[in-house]
Amino acid sequence: MAEQKNTPQWLRRFAAQPLWVRLAALTALIVLIALISKWLVLLLLIALGLWPLTLLLGLGVLALISTRKGGRPWMRAWLGARLRSLAVPALSVVTALLIGALVIMLTDQEVFHALAQGQIGEAVALAFGNLTRSYVALYEGALGNPFKILEAIVRALSGEGLRPILSAVRGPSDSLVQSVPYIFAGLAVALGFRAGLFNIGAEGQIGVGWLVAVVVGFSFSGLPMVVHLPLAIAAGAITAGLWAAIAGLLKAKTGAHEVITTIMMNYLVFRLSDWLLCGPLEFTQGTCRTQDIAESAYLPRFLGHPVTLHWGFVLALVVAALTWWFLFKTTWGFELRTVGANPKAARYGGMNVAKTFVLAMFLSGCLAGLAGVVQGLGITHNIALGFQAGYGFDSIALALLGKSHPAGVVGASLLFGMLRAGAGRMQSVAGVPTEIVQIVQALVIIFIAAPAIIRALYRLREARREGEEVTIFSRGWG
Amino acid sequence: MAVQVEALGAVKTGPSKKDIAVLVLLLALGALFILLGGTGTQPGDRSVFTDQVLGDLFVLPSQATLYAVGAFCFLVAGLRLFRALDSLRSVLNWSLVILSAFAFLVWITAGTSMNLPGMVQSTLMAATPLTLGAMAGIFCERSGIINIAIEGMMLSGAFAAVAFASLFHSLWMGLLAASLVGGVMALLHAVLSIKYKVDQIISGTVINILAAGATRFLNLRLLEPAGLSTPGSFDPISIPILSDIPIIGPIFFENQPTVFIMLILLVAVNYAIFFTPWGLRMRACGEHPRAADTVGVAVNKMRYLSVVIGGLIAGIGGAYFSLGVVGTFEDNMTRGQGFVALAAMIFGNWNPIGAFLAALLFGFANALQVKMQIIQPVLPLINQPIPPEFLQMAPYILTIIVVAGVVGRARPPAAEGKPYEKQ
Repeated sequence: MAEQKNTPQWLRRFAAQPLWVRLAALTALIVLIALISKWLVLLLLIALGLWPLTLLLGLGVLALISTRKGGRPWMRAWLGARLRSLAVPALSVVTALLIGALVIMLTDQEVFHALAQGQIGEAVALAFGNLTRSYVALYEGALGNPFKILEAIVRALSGEGLRPILSAVRGPSDSLVQSVPYIFAGLAVALGFRAGLFNIGAEGQIGVGWLVAVVVGFSFSGLPMVVHLPLAIAAGAITAGLWAAIAGLLKAKTGAHEVITTIMMNYLVFRLSDWLLCGPLEFTQGTCRTQDIAESAYLPRFLGHPVTLHWGFVLALVVAALTWWFLFKTTWGFELRTVGANPKAARYGGMNVAKTFVLAMFLSGCLAGLAGVVQGLGITHNIALGFQAGYGFDSIALALLGKSHPAGVVGASLLFGMLRAGAGRMQSVAGVPTEIVQIVQALVIIFIAAPAIIRALYRLREARREGEEVTIFSRGWG
Repeated sequence: MAVQVEALGAVKTGPSKKDIAVLVLLLALGALFILLGGTGTQPGDRSVFTDQVLGDLFVLPSQATLYAVGAFCFLVAGLRLFRALDSLRSVLNWSLVILSAFAFLVWITAGTSMNLPGMVQSTLMAATPLTLGAMAGIFCERSGIINIAIEGMMLSGAFAAVAFASLFHSLWMGLLAASLVGGVMALLHAVLSIKYKVDQIISGTVINILAAGATRFLNLRLLEPAGLSTPGSFDPISIPILSDIPIIGPIFFENQPTVFIMLILLVAVNYAIFFTPWGLRMRACGEHPRAADTVGVAVNKMRYLSVVIGGLIAGIGGAYFSLGVVGTFEDNMTRGQGFVALAAMIFGNWNPIGAFLAALLFGFANALQVKMQIIQPVLPLINQPIPPEFLQMAPYILTIIVVAGVVGRARPPAAEGKPYEKQ
């Protein structure tokens, strides 16, 4: 294996140490990271806000490594392959944003008024002016204003403290916060896809996870955080997993198509939560909202107001890594992918297809549930009527965009998180409804799912079939 | 696929499993009615059913009626157990469904009175968009294209209805536009799933997302600023003479235009699909496209056509929500009814009449739920009123039961979901 050969010297030396040394070293590393997490996060946010600089720096370092004498030729090949496979997704997003721009321009009231008065030049100028304002707001909402960040850094260095930096990096922070539930929900759908299951029920499972985590969050008081927080997270995830496993069980035992059962189960959750939130769980009459959770169940935030980024982000990245490990490095993951690729072959090979369906739905539900858990414990600290934010349906786009690979899902989630965070600002600054993002997302799914459109538009060649293709079939109902 | 085969095998080798499930359900239902009769009503209670014109229609002793229906459930369970009267099974099943629905009515009206024709009419009203949506789904799926985009098509229809009705100051123009826009959304679904061979469930999801986003966006950005969002709603149309027939008249002949359209389409669609050569060809495309192609049916053309016709019908269903009820557009106003329509389609076994009956059942659950919010009958044993949300869950639970094959069996068109490529 190429990777084996390229394992750095220090890593091999580390692996040769006794177990307790390795464990102690890892623990020390984790504690150290946790201690300086605040500063790491601040650095991350600044790097995101100043991404052109960061990108240049990163590329420079990469170029240095890969061209160094006796360097890493595999790295160049690896990078090239990654960039090639990014062409269609990137162009899809760009095209969708362009169409979104067109929609914004064509629905502009001010432009209509100018046109009605016969001032065509004026109308065109207005259309482009308003569009620029909207997309600048979108950018600032998503990544902040780089000049403001630089200025804030200068001010902070001159002794004004962190406050100016915090408000300047609000954009990147909001994007990451929005991407957290996306990562979980996207992983949920992606894991389902890998098993050949189409989990449309993420929206409902999010609700279950959210609800249970919040209930656990406010039902106990006086527990230490190290007990309460993991308890709330696990309870939410596992309940959502069990809920989703019903669909897997029905498919395995009776052949009921998971798309129908999960759609119907979504609405069961919605109606049940309607009743619970305006009934037994309502805290103050007429609010249709639960009590706030105890502070020991809060997912802690890294920095002060207005940066709301919380530990759920780290949890999301860890879970994404675990999902990758599970899918590609474990026997169960292999069985799951085999069942997804060809259930008949899997059965012939002696795998338990029914068990795999149930397991896959359970894990998918756990992941989706976590999306609700992080919202409940990290952001809202309660659950209110109308909590459905569409993460569950967007997650199908994420899984497609990320080609059902955990790393791809994380990337796609960051992108969608940015869109969502930017849309909020675009609405308040330029008056463009946030739903434009939903339109853009729908277009992205169309282009990703039908790459022939993008290839025709940009005259791209058909991509070579590299490695395994993601297998998604509609196998009909029934 | 393999799982399906296994499931089929399981049913064949051990039929007792399914029968036991049905028996348990029947016994539970019977026990429920006896319980409702025993503790939910007083011995002297009477359920009075009235009509606006005729006054009291009939009066029933509540408790005795509930006991009788409960006993009937046990009777059917017994017949099932000994496999007696198997030839009458479907008659028995349907009378059981109707009697159970009626028993619920008797229970909630115990000691009071209820306008029975009014109840039937609100059932029919609630069933209208469901039936239209289900017919849209049937057209699509019978030709071999999965349609989970009924919700999106209806929502865009609801929006277009408001926009164009206010633009042209004509509700009928709104209805027409609703239908056309539903058709356009369906065309998108068709192009994606037939031409580009996109997974049909993904394509359907895209349409749902797009419809939800686009209607909200355009409503906020175009309709509301331009004052185009309140076209008003349809007045009921009463057909002369026929609407004067007591009881039946107000139910069937004095209604929203969409209800009439639904009833006419129901007959027309059923005829077109099952009694014309065209319908046979269309169904062949959904069952065995290769065979259809061999005898000269242009499979993909047929699929395009069917999907678009379905979209046109779904659009009308959408107009029901905006022009038929509230007279304005609200965000996400179809509220998942498109998925209930999908449920009705499956429940009705991809058959328009079956879907209509299923829609009536779901519509009844809805009407009952509205009624119960007013009367608030108390559930025995726990002494709590039934939350209306629980009745709203009925369509979803029933659909899960049906697709799982516990009661009846949903048999979708065989070639559904597979793009057809000519060889």
